[in-house]
Amino acid sequence: MSHHDIQKPTDITIPADSLFAKLPMLGGGLAVVGLGATLASAFGENKARAMFSYLWAFEVVLAIALGALGFVLIQHAVRAGWSTVVRRLAETAMVTLPVFIVLFIPIVALGMHELYPWSHHTDAILEKKRWFLSVPFFLGRAALYFAIWSAFAWLLYSASVKQDSTADGSAEQKKLSHTMWKLSAGGIFVYALSQSFQAIDWMMSLQPHWYSTIFGVYFFAASILAFFCFVTLVAMALQKAGVLKDAITTEHFHDLGKFIYGFTVFWTYIAFSQFILIWYANIPEETEFYMVRLQGGWDVVSYALPIAHFFLPFLFLLSRHMKRNRTALAAACVWMLFMHCVDMYWLILPNFGTHGEGHHEAHLAISYLDVTALLGMVGAFLAAYGFFLNKNKVVAINDPRLTESLAHENY
Amino acid sequence: MATATAVVLPDDPKIRGDVTLEDPVGGREALVRGPHDFHSVTELVCAVNEKPILETPNPFKFGIALAAAGAAMFGGYIGYLFWEGPGIWGNNNPVGWAWDIVNFVFWVGIGHAGTLISAILYLFRQKWRTSINRYAEAMTIFAVICAGSCVALHTGRIWMDYYLFPIPNQMGLWPNFRSPLEWDVWAVNTYFLVSTLFWFTGLVPDFATLRDRATVKWRRMFYGALAMGWRGSMRHWVTYEKAYQILAAFSAPLVLSVHTIVSFDFAVSQLPGWHTTIFPPYFVAGAIFSGFAMVNTLMLPAREWLGLKDLVTVRHIENINKIILLTGTMVGYAYAMEFFVAAYSGNDYEGFTFINRMFGPYWWAYWTMVSCNVITPQLFWFRKIRSSPAWTFVLSIFVNIGMWFERFVITVTSLHRDALVSSWDYFVPVTEVFFLLGTFGLFFTLFLLFVRFFPVIAMSEVKSVMPQANPHWEGYGHGAHAHGGGNAQPATAGGH
Repeated sequence: MSHHDIQKPTDITIPADSLFAKLPMLGGGLAVVGLGATLASAFGENKARAMFSYLWAFEVVLAIALGALGFVLIQHAVRAGWSTVVRRLAETAMVTLPVFIVLFIPIVALGMHELYPWSHHTDAILEKKRWFLSVPFFLGRAALYFAIWSAFAWLLYSASVKQDSTADGSAEQKKLSHTMWKLSAGGIFVYALSQSFQAIDWMMSLQPHWYSTIFGVYFFAASILAFFCFVTLVAMALQKAGVLKDAITTEHFHDLGKFIYGFTVFWTYIAFSQFILIWYANIPEETEFYMVRLQGGWDVVSYALPIAHFFLPFLFLLSRHMKRNRTALAAACVWMLFMHCVDMYWLILPNFGTHGEGHHEAHLAISYLDVTALLGMVGAFLAAYGFFLNKNKVVAINDPRLTESLAHENY
Repeated sequence: MATATAVVLPDDPKIRGDVTLEDPVGGREALVRGPHDFHSVTELVCAVNEKPILETPNPFKFGIALAAAGAAMFGGYIGYLFWEGPGIWGNNNPVGWAWDIVNFVFWVGIGHAGTLISAILYLFRQKWRTSINRYAEAMTIFAVICAGSCVALHTGRIWMDYYLFPIPNQMGLWPNFRSPLEWDVWAVNTYFLVSTLFWFTGLVPDFATLRDRATVKWRRMFYGALAMGWRGSMRHWVTYEKAYQILAAFSAPLVLSVHTIVSFDFAVSQLPGWHTTIFPPYFVAGAIFSGFAMVNTLMLPAREWLGLKDLVTVRHIENINKIILLTGTMVGYAYAMEFFVAAYSGNDYEGFTFINRMFGPYWWAYWTMVSCNVITPQLFWFRKIRSSPAWTFVLSIFVNIGMWFERFVITVTSLHRDALVSSWDYFVPVTEVFFLLGTFGLFFTLFLLFVRFFPVIAMSEVKSVMPQANPHWEGYGHGAHAHGGGNAQPATAGGH
């Protein structure tokens, strides 16, 4: 409890010669090349494939940014102490959310017809869904989601940055903490709804006859898990670059590892719940989701998911020593981010070529467009991430709970 | 660190815990109020258990008499059910499941708060849990006993219940392991076993305290047997801490798995209103929600009457209420998502079920559920309300009612309008009210016996979160100089 010997870190800005300082340039370059190549294909005969790759890469990266927003909201709402040293790293991921408005434009401008069968096709069931699945309403909802995310991301980020320059123990410092706390408590509810409906709109409606009430929770589980892996890797990389070397300790990595472990189990719980209920009841309009994913090469992915996304990390990260060993934890994070890509791929890509209908046969075929789209999207995200990381301090240096976080120990 | 300013609290221990303190932001509010040391905490908690039997206060005698009468009535009711069969219930065709299952799900849900507090809040290092975990876990065990009796009685031929277990027999009958009802048997039994072990492990050091303080022979023997030779040696504590952590890790998935499997009882079917994929997490959230409400219902009178306000403070009540607000809104999310997808699916049967819930014959049950579970908990957004014991008590009763009705709505309204219009019926209970009251009698009998004879607060755990447990603590009046916040009302920071 006594923190009198705890010193606040001083290595809190990105050194000019580090790779992080060049991140906006490097990421930007990658974005131009990757997204350029993908979108160039979208004007050719590969249009549909390019748009599916684009949407996949978009959701992979959006999940990380949304996970970051969720994390920050929760940390403030529960007045968490342990996480203060890594919160700015999450806030930086969260504040990239407005960038996704720009990244979303190609989906609307080029991809509506290719991606969403309901936008141009109709049948008896789709007619009943017309009240929800219509292009204007879809666009209106997208605008609403982006407005909510951008507003919360920006308000929380700017309040946190503002706190950096307040005096320790001042009324203003305390007031900002209270503001973020209040904002987050309400924000959690708006966030829960918007991220769920985003998943329904942009992913579930790819297969428009199919429905599952747990889908929003599934996306949340995937998203927060991907975020925890991302922030752990960023924290390790920053320490390599000479930033926050003593501030982020094994104790914090241990906690991040526990969350990665916990949410791996949570993701499995949600995925299994969805599967077993649909499998058991065996109702045709629901089973079509799994039917298309159990053929044409997708069956391998379907069987691999529980093994590679659950059993392997579950056994690998079970021990306390693995979570406290940086190399092991880093390996787990890289693996889980890869599995996050596979998971999103499994959700989105089987709808390519099947018009989202369960009776069409889907074929698993990886394209170079997947590579260009993912590299480009990650580049765009990292460019924005690097920009904000360089712009401000990498830690919420005047957060009143920073000392508690610095002194944090697991028992 | 930034120290929390020393707070001047009133001397009167009766109101000390009811004073709302401002969030210190940098640092943490003291969890125990007043000038307590380890000894005074022991005195405070043991006082209840050490009162001689003949000096039991009258209100307590009256309470336990009332509860025991209810339990006895339950015994009689079981005999009547045994004799007459489930025909004494209003169950009809198509409503084959009614209050029997509603009561089961209601009680098993209540238990979840205790497990969340003892396992998940422990793993999340929520130190405030130490003041409430003991009776929340006791509540869990007694609620699971009630749930178990409901589900054992619902089978009709109660004397055949042993067929639920895979016991080799000459008739070659074997449980169907593909049935969620069979999964339920294992889930609930596992839950009961692990919860009881966890609860008992935590109790051992406290039993030893009571044994060592015993002044009469029976008490020494009673607590001595329960303490199982605990001497408080370093070796004992090391083993204890390990066992505690392992049991917490075992219990954490149980918080999710038990009610998940209960939800499977409904959701694996093809019935609209039962079959929906969000049921597992939605049931878990609802279970925690109802359990925390029951914690409030039991805890608020107890802290008042047993004089435990220094240990269970307004901060504890506020924290519980925040969890109620969160889980209540999660339940609201699930209601909304079910409703949305019923509309989105374009499935006429799904759509009918949800419209029928709202405006059909059982509209009153549906709106009771929504009002008590989603609307009234929103009052906890206001700090005045969530830190008021009176408001909290009233709203906790609302949640208890709402969550009972939720199970009623799910079970009965989904069944009473099935696909064949000619078989539609309306369920009316006949003698079931006595069934529900009987389980309450059993529950309160067990709970009051627990309060009377077992330490209601985990003394050894509360002591571990007091400033005196900190290795750097240097005694009253000194800590403030050396370590910031070491005075009588210190800020106990999250780290050690």
